[in-house]
Amino acid sequence: MASEEGVKDLLNSIIESVNQILSMELEIQSPKVFNLAVIQSEMAVLIGITGDVSGRIVLQGDSETFSKLGTKMFGMPLEGEMLHSCIGEIANMLAGKTSSIVYNKGYKVDITPPTIMVGQMQMYGFERGLSVTVRIEALGDINIILLLQN
Amino acid sequence: MGNILVVDDAAFMRMMLKSILENAGHTVVGEAENGSDAIEKYKALQPDLVTMDITMPVMEGVEAVKHIKSAHPDAKIIMCSAMGQQGMVVQAIQAGALDFIIKPFQADRVLSSIEKALTK
Repeated sequence: MASEEGVKDLLNSIIESVNQILSMELEIQSPKVFNLAVIQSEMAVLIGITGDVSGRIVLQGDSETFSKLGTKMFGMPLEGEMLHSCIGEIANMLAGKTSSIVYNKGYKVDITPPTIMVGQMQMYGFERGLSVTVRIEALGDINIILLLQN
Repeated sequence: MGNILVVDDAAFMRMMLKSILENAGHTVVGEAENGSDAIEKYKALQPDLVTMDITMPVMEGVEAVKHIKSAHPDAKIIMCSAMGQQGMVVQAIQAGALDFIIKPFQADRVLSSIEKALTK
């Protein structure tokens, strides 16, 4: 469980991490709060954060945007399983950087290996979620979702 | 040039590392996708050096470093992880890792660390 202050620090750390890891021209929109199931459109990666602040980070988007993002970050076109693995790794880097940033704010956390999900699905089992849309110039939109349990 | 074992749960990251290492003239003698697999592969392949991820299923990387170092005290292991928080770096170095590279990394950073470790 995380205090409101902890949730705020975690969300801000995620946003800081996105800016550092993607290191591109980004437009980060205001977080939206939701408490209904997330309908996942095409691809998503889930990583758990455990420790002093906890939650689950979901990176969500379509395959075209993720493919362009992978090419831009790693300089090679990716598809199929290698694209799925690459998205998992991008999420791992975001969560890893987030954990370093929150660590510097006084929280000790660990992360779980990424779970990669492909295809339409709904997610349950959380009390509330915070969703942030990240518009990546010339590539498209991805959503970063923080799922919380009280 | 060295014979290297690449340990990472992400196939994409193993491919990236393999490409960087082979382009620089090293040989990737094996790949492992978790810490437990890494211990077995180390024993079987006796590589000159290991690149080791931390967050992996089955057994995480720092635990694997401890196992490998206790059985093979001369093992040369470089951590290659997205988990760059200070406490994690200290744990890895205390377990016996020679260096800690934080993902996302530049090829030059990986190669210079490996070169340094191989000449030790």
